Amino acid sequence: MIDETVASDLAPGVLHTSTTAGEAAAPPSRTRELPTWVRPKMWLPPLVAMALLAVAWQLYAIHNPYVIPKLQEIFGNLGNRPGFYFHNALTTLQEAAVGAGVGMGIAFVLAIVMSYVRIVERAVLPLAVVLNVTPIIAVAPALVVAFGFGMMPKYIITSVLVFFPFLINSLIGLRSVDPLALDLMKTLHASRSEILWKLRLPSSLPFLFAAARICAPLSIIGAVVAEFVAAGQTNGLGVLIVTAASLGDLKTIYASVVVLAVMGIAVFLLVVFVQSRMLTWHSSSTVKE
Amino acid sequence: MSGLAEQTSETSSVPSSTVRREDCVLIEGVTKGFGEGVARVAAVDDVSLSVERGQFVTVIGPSGCGKTTLLRIVAGLLGVDRGEVSIFGESVAVATERKHIGFVPQSPALFPWRSVLDNVRLPLEVNKKAAASGRAVVDPVALLQSFGLGHALRRRPAELSGGMQQRVAIARAFVFDPPILLMDEPFAAVDELTRESLRHELLSIWQANKKTVIFVTHSIAEAIALSDAVVIMSPHPGRIQRIVPVNLRRPRDEMVETTSDFHELEREVRMEIRSGWAR
Repeated sequence: MIDETVASDLAPGVLHTSTTAGEAAAPPSRTRELPTWVRPKMWLPPLVAMALLAVAWQLYAIHNPYVIPKLQEIFGNLGNRPGFYFHNALTTLQEAAVGAGVGMGIAFVLAIVMSYVRIVERAVLPLAVVLNVTPIIAVAPALVVAFGFGMMPKYIITSVLVFFPFLINSLIGLRSVDPLALDLMKTLHASRSEILWKLRLPSSLPFLFAAARICAPLSIIGAVVAEFVAAGQTNGLGVLIVTAASLGDLKTIYASVVVLAVMGIAVFLLVVFVQSRMLTWHSSSTVKE
Repeated sequence: MSGLAEQTSETSSVPSSTVRREDCVLIEGVTKGFGEGVARVAAVDDVSLSVERGQFVTVIGPSGCGKTTLLRIVAGLLGVDRGEVSIFGESVAVATERKHIGFVPQSPALFPWRSVLDNVRLPLEVNKKAAASGRAVVDPVALLQSFGLGHALRRRPAELSGGMQQRVAIARAFVFDPPILLMDEPFAAVDELTRESLRHELLSIWQANKKTVIFVTHSIAEAIALSDAVVIMSPHPGRIQRIVPVNLRRPRDEMVETTSDFHELEREVRMEIRSGWAR
């Protein structure tokens, strides 16, 4: 049993108290554990699943060479022209990054305004729902007419795709504040901006990261779809897939798909990494199975 | 209690002729309801109470008697339908603007992304205009050390036990040296032994500071051990049923709970609460 007593020889307003064993904090674990990603139970199951998929793919490709190419043909194509794929991937990534940045940025600012002013929420949310349910592919030709064949229509399409999920998550996050913490801030006469910066924003971070985990890969999909439906340029993996499809070049199509998958995983992992650094306090980072 | 008086609609609207408005927390004829039209329920109805500077007053009563509502009104978190509250001669709005109110909620409400030290510093970071008014500020590190939390300054709240978290919440209320503390069942979320320990720590803290405290609780023993007076509220609508003065000697320690006077008061308060239910 610990019985810690601290003397009270401090200034007025500073008082003595004691800590009893019954409420001592749990000491931080001293055992050094392997990083999560090194543990076999983390990497073995997906590796086995991928290996099984690869075997099934290969067996199907051997018997149906005109439907899907063999794996060695896909990765051989990639290995022979890495610069070509990198160049196209960069264009798609730029569209995804700018589109996601703008879409998520606008959604977040709007969520802040909506969280404070209900009338703005009532006015804007139905429009956002309409924007979300409208097939963006149907609007793409109009965007090309309005903005030309450059990057702008791609940015807009990607922005629109990520806008709604980020808006809803941000709004819920900004409103999901511990009401007692909010009471505390009010009794201190904290200003709206102090409540926003010191309470609402930090407590909304888990929601923002959850949204970012959805939106980051979605932005890659958005950029490719934009290249499909708002063509007019020569670069980008979506353009490459459309061109290869018209030539029946299966190897290039699937090589492009592999690059897109890698890009999607990379941006997702990037978000997970940033989240793990910024949300060390949250149960999503601290609770382990 | 000379400085603590209670009125309902049947009595005078002025609580005490001897206490100046500037020297007490004054609740005058406060009524607050929730809901609309016929569904409207009066949470507190025509409640008047005066708490002198430096008094420790506990509000007790069954669930739904309006004690938390009353505390939230004094804290400026709820408006009133009728009546008025003043804190040492100031309106509640002015008192919160000047950071004269330290609030300890039911759960610690610590910010999980902040360390223990940063949580205690929070009141110094917001509404700095009030802090610049020349009022004494307690050094957060020294304060936490005095609360037995000197070893946990850099820890996050999730790394602390419930009792330690609650102690951080109380330290946070002390850091800007507010003249009045409002505590809403601050020990409700901890186990009985921790609760007893925290109760006696709070007692020793208060005896060294003599701040004005309005403390809401469900625990009769807690109410008597801590306070100068126990305000018993009855439900539907929430009204002050009776104020029981606690004339036990001060300073008090845990031994006070073993005295016959304490047990007599405990019985008296319990019977009074029961009679309120029966009505």
